[in-house]
Amino acid sequence: MRLSDIAAGAELPAIAIPITLQRLVMEAGANRDLSLIHHDTKVARATGAPDAFANTFFLMGMFERLMREWAGPAARIRKIGPLRMMIFNAVGDSVYFKGTVESVDAAAGTVTLDMWVESERGKTVTAKALLELQD
Amino acid sequence: MSEPSWGLWGTWEETEQHLGKVVGQSVGPDPVEKGSIRRWLEPKEFACDIHTDAAAAKAAGYDDLVAPASMVFTYGIAPYWQPGDSPAQIDDEPTQIQIPVIFDVPAPCDKSFATSVEVEFFEPLYPGDEVTCASKLVDIKHKELKVGKGAFLRQEDTYTKQTGEVVAIAYLDIFRFVAVKKGEE
Repeated sequence: MRLSDIAAGAELPAIAIPITLQRLVMEAGANRDLSLIHHDTKVARATGAPDAFANTFFLMGMFERLMREWAGPAARIRKIGPLRMMIFNAVGDSVYFKGTVESVDAAAGTVTLDMWVESERGKTVTAKALLELQD
Repeated sequence: MSEPSWGLWGTWEETEQHLGKVVGQSVGPDPVEKGSIRRWLEPKEFACDIHTDAAAAKAAGYDDLVAPASMVFTYGIAPYWQPGDSPAQIDDEPTQIQIPVIFDVPAPCDKSFATSVEVEFFEPLYPGDEVTCASKLVDIKHKELKVGKGAFLRQEDTYTKQTGEVVAIAYLDIFRFVAVKKGEE
């Protein structure tokens, strides 16, 4: 993807991924956030969550995947955030990572993205990002 | 197994004493390498050859196979156990991720969760790189939410590699609170 190919309002191809306890356990082992709320139903429910829920590192990584699959290997990820978690992404949820181009800065060679996560619970997470691309 | 801790207990005056100070430092035990990258990509179903193949990464302008940018968090986490630590006991409190503004900064709160994170990336991470993270408490904002009364604590994390180069700077907002009891909502 080149900067000159991108216009504000363009949509990033969405990613669908199911949140299962197995995925959360695999994710916790790989990203090293072993907090119990992310893999222990009882502890998660004690905090008001419906079940064990996806951690911040997973959300960050999935947004990185969303950007990378759209922008290609040469793009440089400069910033992710603010990433805001509003609703839990819990075991049993089918979630979708989506995004659009908010603006293009040709002089700086950057693109600002608006991204979010959706599930049956609604819009669960929002995130901005800044990408650097070649022209 | 005992119940997990949700933070270090103390007064708001004690919390204020930590403002602007480094409240934690962690040294990631594992250098960047292919195996940990592959295991990180796996649960995300993330296929991208710059993270798995040096030739593809070089063709994209990197010096070598490059770790995903957001993997810097993982490489900066201290080990959960290391040689010299005491053997675990069945009634020990479970070990959780080390977030200094929760576990090293006192506050009159018994629950906590992250609400927002922002990260800026600088130098890429290559195989062999080692990451350390210094955490500072940079803001305290008192607030009452539906779940309870408490405060947002902002933690600034600076991730550097062995060369001294900054890899990333992250801001993490944590809400620490006393949970509303059933019937009090």
